[in-house]
Amino acid sequence: MNRLDAAMSETGEGDNDDFELVLDPKVQESIGRSLKAHYDDIVNAPVPDKFLVLLAQLEATEQRAAGASTDERN
Amino acid sequence: MSAIDTASRTSVRTEEQAKEFKDGLIREIPNLRAFAASLSGSMQLADDLVQDTLLKAWGNSDKFEPGTSLRAWLFTILRNTYYSLYRKRGREVQDSEGTYAERMATHGNQESHLDLADFRKALAKLPEEQREVLIMVGATGLSYEEAAEICGVAIGTIKSRVNRARTKLAELLSIGSVDDLGPDRASAAAMQRVGSENIGS
Repeated sequence: MNRLDAAMSETGEGDNDDFELVLDPKVQESIGRSLKAHYDDIVNAPVPDKFLVLLAQLEATEQRAAGASTDERN
Repeated sequence: MSAIDTASRTSVRTEEQAKEFKDGLIREIPNLRAFAASLSGSMQLADDLVQDTLLKAWGNSDKFEPGTSLRAWLFTILRNTYYSLYRKRGREVQDSEGTYAERMATHGNQESHLDLADFRKALAKLPEEQREVLIMVGATGLSYEEAAEICGVAIGTIKSRVNRARTKLAELLSIGSVDDLGPDRASAAAMQRVGSENIGS
């Protein structure tokens, strides 16, 4: 909730020295929608397999390393 | 595979912790890609950047504090990697291939297709320091506090950058809208460039 409140009420409160221009709320809203559309478009795109392969390799390497050190102790 | 060996050097975690961390990384990949693309202006660079980020995150997982925002932590790594290694490459790619706006506007529904492409062109024209914070607080769900921490600046600075970014975008988009009605995308883009140069001066 705090995060949402912060995002909604950020419009220049207590910080007016840095800028004189205040945008029309409708323009702000429109920019906000476009920002989300741009970002979500990529978020919702299929994730290339190579990332999952990479993480699986990292995990396997770590498990091998852990297994090896266990063997050494024994 | 030397990068993988390096990233696995510090393995002091239990298997469950490692699994949990890995699942967290997997969950954040779409957001990392979207943030990286917004920063670099190129989907190809974005994926290289995400790969580097995942490797670094894995190798430094002992530095992540459970209970804090994994997204903010990963964004910090990604952003630092971008500014130290990718920034110059990004400009080169954009110079030779144009921005990613045209090439990327294939997802999503057709109705908003043109609007999205136009918006991305305008977004790419923003100064980096404005673009990154606008994306962080406007699209990723990060708070102003988190954005300030990621960028290493005061919250007031984040606020003023966001406001300048919005103002600049509004300026760019209202100029672009007339040209966008033309049937020829290439000439429309050319006209838009001319238009924005006039504005900038």
